[in-house]
Amino acid sequence: MPQHQGARLVLSQGQAAAILLLPFLTIYAVFLVYPFFKGVWISLHDWNLMAVAFNPDAKAYVGLSNYERVMWGSNITWGAWASPAFQFIGLAGAVASAWLYRTGRAGKVTALAMGGAALLLFVLPGFHPGEGGRWYDRRFWPTVGNTILFVGLAVPGVTITAMLLAAALDGETRAKAVLRTLFFLSQVLSVTVVTLIWQIMFSPRQGLIANLTQLFGGSPIVWLTAEGFAMASIVIATIWWSLGIAMILFLAGIQDISKDLYEAGALDNATGAKAFWYITLPNLKRTITLVVVLQIILHFQVFGQSHLMTNGGPNDTTQVLVRYIYQTAFRDSELGRASAMAVFLFVIMGGFSILQFVLGREKDQ
Amino acid sequence: MKHVILGATALTLLATSAVAQEVTLGRFFGDCEDAGTDTSASVGEACIIQSIINAADAEIDGLSINTLPTDWGNYYDQIVAAYAGGTPPNVHVMHRHRVPEFANIGALADLTDDLEGAGIDPSDWEPAALEAVTYNERIVGVPMDIHANLWHVNMDLMEAAGLVEDGAPILPSSPEEMLEHARMVQEATGQDYLAADFAEFPIGVRVALALIWQQGANIFEGDTATIDTEETRNAISAITQLFDAGLSNPQLNYADSQQAFLNGEAAVLVNGTWVVDFYAAEAARDDEGLNSYFVADFPTLFDEGATWADSHMWAIPSPVKANDPDTYATALQVLAFINDHNLDWARTGHMAVRTSVLESAEYAALPHREEYTGTADIARDTPPSVRYGAIQDALNRELQAIWLTGKSVDAALADAQSDVQDLLDR
Repeated sequence: MPQHQGARLVLSQGQAAAILLLPFLTIYAVFLVYPFFKGVWISLHDWNLMAVAFNPDAKAYVGLSNYERVMWGSNITWGAWASPAFQFIGLAGAVASAWLYRTGRAGKVTALAMGGAALLLFVLPGFHPGEGGRWYDRRFWPTVGNTILFVGLAVPGVTITAMLLAAALDGETRAKAVLRTLFFLSQVLSVTVVTLIWQIMFSPRQGLIANLTQLFGGSPIVWLTAEGFAMASIVIATIWWSLGIAMILFLAGIQDISKDLYEAGALDNATGAKAFWYITLPNLKRTITLVVVLQIILHFQVFGQSHLMTNGGPNDTTQVLVRYIYQTAFRDSELGRASAMAVFLFVIMGGFSILQFVLGREKDQ
Repeated sequence: MKHVILGATALTLLATSAVAQEVTLGRFFGDCEDAGTDTSASVGEACIIQSIINAADAEIDGLSINTLPTDWGNYYDQIVAAYAGGTPPNVHVMHRHRVPEFANIGALADLTDDLEGAGIDPSDWEPAALEAVTYNERIVGVPMDIHANLWHVNMDLMEAAGLVEDGAPILPSSPEEMLEHARMVQEATGQDYLAADFAEFPIGVRVALALIWQQGANIFEGDTATIDTEETRNAISAITQLFDAGLSNPQLNYADSQQAFLNGEAAVLVNGTWVVDFYAAEAARDDEGLNSYFVADFPTLFDEGATWADSHMWAIPSPVKANDPDTYATALQVLAFINDHNLDWARTGHMAVRTSVLESAEYAALPHREEYTGTADIARDTPPSVRYGAIQDALNRELQAIWLTGKSVDAALADAQSDVQDLLDR
């Protein structure tokens, strides 16, 4: 076999890997790493979006002042019972972590991660303005709270609904295949379409829900403008929208479970709900972790539902972090301040990812 | 054959692009499918403006207008982002209240010395319209209208309540009288007296602002917020007394409040001049709901007349004038064409800005026009500010908190005061 001239250019495995990775790394560096550090850089400046566009020198370095103006206030003090509900849960969580570790029910890393998170929940809500003091931006922390509430409602909502649907629709009948497709369909819609559909559904005058309520003699709820229902309505729309992917992941997880387990279970009289509880659920642990992590990261970035359905109202009850960042950057042109909030969002999302990662790893061991 | 067709198409495209100067245009007002080029037949803001744009595209030689897709609710965010990215549309519509924000940093082209050459006569503009497009004594836009809040009235419901005299509705002259009228309407018809979007867009804010101005006060002066005052409390209680007595529903958003009025479920709807032609068309339809429609000036409930008002205007970004004289000249032609069709735009219900149009018989003959002639004299707005958008949002949030969530007036006004002061201090 004749030898090729280029045979001298044989690449080592490392060199080949470097060349193959180069296109990805270039794009990753240009479109992800650079903008990220640019964002951090902008957050250290007084940076007006419009003014800097017309005069690049119109920005000024201000250090951490944007962070201070967003997250801090004048005369801020700390109290152990400033926000009793959160702080009690935090304290209870810390005690529970210690107890779980002591009794050997949780590993060291898990206990440390949970305990750390619980302590943060005890410490952070304790900060509040003292006598004559005030937050520089009184809307920031409530907005963070709304975002966490949204995540806290949407993630379990999506996870539990998707899991139950997946368990119910696992099978080879035609009806189940059709239903699987139907339930997945909502996922392919864009947020504008989803919010439009649900605005009509929730409308007190022409909505399906209002019509049903009236059919049974009730008076229709004004979902999107009532303080107690606005957050619920964007959560409901979100669950309906993001069910599909979670359901497919659970279906894949369920189909991975050996049929032998169910047969053995059936011999021990474990069928239906019992089989789900004792066989399906324990075998889905890894899938549940994956779905929860994905959902938390996804839903921390909620924007469209709040922006298009409720405009963040009423009384800011559905104002979420990304919407606040968007308004600060594009309505108010205050890019520095908005970037500081975005860095904060990155930190809490990163924190949750690390927490989930640690918990997931320990389970594998 | 395929090659011939392709070749011919390519040649045509080449020829067209060589001749036609493309102008990109940004606007809100919503979408209109198939607006056509007949500027005198279209109905509603979206279709009337698009028919004028289409007509300009068709009638001006060597011009091709590309109307960019923009979304109503996020229009200014899109425009700001486009400016920041260095790609603003060559021509775009905006409100008078946004002029300081853009002109302050030199984003808008100074048109002062170029208008006459383009066939636009600023001396034909009403003083209020000229003032709307003037910043630091330079003209930075071409005004298209003055629009304001009106009282849209269902005459059948008012008649049933005995609130019609000489073919015109009897409107209240004090908050107490308004409550009395509202009770009369409800007793006679079972319907609400007043509807408006108190739950979504800042129409409720504009009602409150009008009532504050009617007492000679304002929400800020210079760099000082003046929201937490007795006048604001009076204005708010004039509105909330209707909610508390069940004579108006604060939970309706824009679409729902409009639907309530068109269904005949409210005697009065507070909304702008932009819907007069639409409601007139709806009233003319032979169905249930609104059948007898009247347009009234915003009534004076306190000492002096005042209603919220603003202007739509067209501007050209300053980089277009500085870097691209051909496009700038063509863009001015587009503005001149829109200025020439001021009467067509006024068919929406908006008030024209050109004296020659205002004095024309055609303008006087527009439907319901004679019913709200007083509005031009009482048109008001808050002082100019680069933070106008954020201030409106802060007010909207706190006022809605009062009537939608039961937040106390004291707490809401204290929060609004500190939020607006923060914005003015930045």
